[in-house]
Amino acid sequence: MRRLMGLLVALTVLVAGVGPGAAQQKSTLDKIGETGTLTIGTRTGSPPFAYVNAKNEWVGFSIDLVDELIKPAIEKKLGKTIKIEKKESTPPTRIPLLSSGAVDLIAETMTDTRTRRESVDFSLTFFVTGAQFLVKKGSPIKGIKSIDGKRIAAQQGSTNARILRERAPKAVLREFPDQPAAFQALVQGQVDAYTNDGIQLAGLKSKAQNPAQWEIVGDFYSYEPYGMAMRKGDADFRNVVNAGLMEGIESGKFFEIYDKWFGPKGELPYPMSPQVRSFMLLQVVPK
Amino acid sequence: MRGFGVERVAAPSMRYQFNWSVLWTGESGAWLLSGLITTLELSAAAWLLAAVLGVVSGALRTVRFAPLRVAATVYVEFFRNVPLLVWMFFWYFAVPPLLPVEVQGWLFAHGLEFWAAVCALGVYSGARFSEVLRSGIQAIPRTQLEASVASGLTTFQSYRYVVLPVALRLIIPPGTNESLNLLKNSSVALTISVAELTFQTRQIETYTAKAIEALTAGTLIYLVLCISIATIMAWVERRTAIPGLITGGRRRR
Repeated sequence: MRRLMGLLVALTVLVAGVGPGAAQQKSTLDKIGETGTLTIGTRTGSPPFAYVNAKNEWVGFSIDLVDELIKPAIEKKLGKTIKIEKKESTPPTRIPLLSSGAVDLIAETMTDTRTRRESVDFSLTFFVTGAQFLVKKGSPIKGIKSIDGKRIAAQQGSTNARILRERAPKAVLREFPDQPAAFQALVQGQVDAYTNDGIQLAGLKSKAQNPAQWEIVGDFYSYEPYGMAMRKGDADFRNVVNAGLMEGIESGKFFEIYDKWFGPKGELPYPMSPQVRSFMLLQVVPK
Repeated sequence: MRGFGVERVAAPSMRYQFNWSVLWTGESGAWLLSGLITTLELSAAAWLLAAVLGVVSGALRTVRFAPLRVAATVYVEFFRNVPLLVWMFFWYFAVPPLLPVEVQGWLFAHGLEFWAAVCALGVYSGARFSEVLRSGIQAIPRTQLEASVASGLTTFQSYRYVVLPVALRLIIPPGTNESLNLLKNSSVALTISVAELTFQTRQIETYTAKAIEALTAGTLIYLVLCISIATIMAWVERRTAIPGLITGGRRRR
């Protein structure tokens, strides 16, 4: 039902957005100060960034970054404690959710792109990945060069589908609104491969019933830097969000949270490469 | 003179920035057109299936022979009381594994998602059409059926030549209603990767990050489609009105 909810939300936004003066005017920090609540848009099925775990808790790396780095920064700025409210966002709904003021921050697995920057603002990059393919072990698909004529599932609204359409026009794309449906289609053979950001495929594989049955293949055919999205033109709020992330990177807290999820004992072992580590550190500007 | 002080401008850019040109630049037009065609194909195929199922089961629900009546009732209550989204997943994910592997492979390579959506939408809407037709049949005095049987027609012939032609005319207004619902419900097929109209509006959003513009385009297309169908059906209703029974809401000149 969440899929339908997404559509409903988008339609509501459509109606609200067209009405005069419905768009957000107040600064985000004022809004958070008044309501005492930071509302974030996040995912329910994108482990380990944002998902509902076996204990029915809504958790993940992106959510922890908000909880442990950004929330304290906002509290410091406002001088009062705030709470976090989570709402489901999906690729088609996340920008309208922000624009309408329904959420203040998108914290999930959103790739920062130049097109999107025309509609929203992004925080620092907090994760770096690229698109690959998930296939059944032994599949003839080895990467983007071997998918001609194959049925490839992708997540609708993702950057991957767009790149595939341009770079592999002979592949037959099947786009699903969410990850579980796309994966189910792969399990049953409706499609030959599922493409998404490598880290998400790894998350999916680790949560599958029989992880050994699946294989992640191909070099990254895209560059996907994840950022947190905010309403465009609210520099004060963006500075606070970025300050929270920078302080976390500087103090090492960011890397602790990374290890909690991606370290050797984490949900999904995915050690940070030295290049990515230095990229993270270089994003931090002096106090 | 405006000084060096920090200017606090109420940020107008925080409002949503409309850019309607995304609808006619790039491939948007082609996508909307192909989505519209898919929506029409899907709706037309599902409508045919729904009409056949609806007429047959609706008629069977009014016959004397109990087993047929029960079968039709079971069909109606089972299919109309489960959400359409569930039926989409059912036909797409649950039905293929029941088929032989060769058939599965063939289906997967030949647009299974489209036909799964046709089945889901057709069977679901058929159950709803069925109730509409039943109410149409029950609006006709029972004596008409009895008179036609008395005049030597079999039950089948009575339905075929007497009851159904009248009932079908009676149910044009609620039938139009259900048909428009079917057309709009076809958007649920995007959950199983059918690239229909709503899917294509999302596609535009992916490429341009302009969701409100894309949704508005989709909304207008659905609106125009539905109003056109409603207008045509209103004309059909007037043309086929039976004097004395229904008058299309107005007296005939």
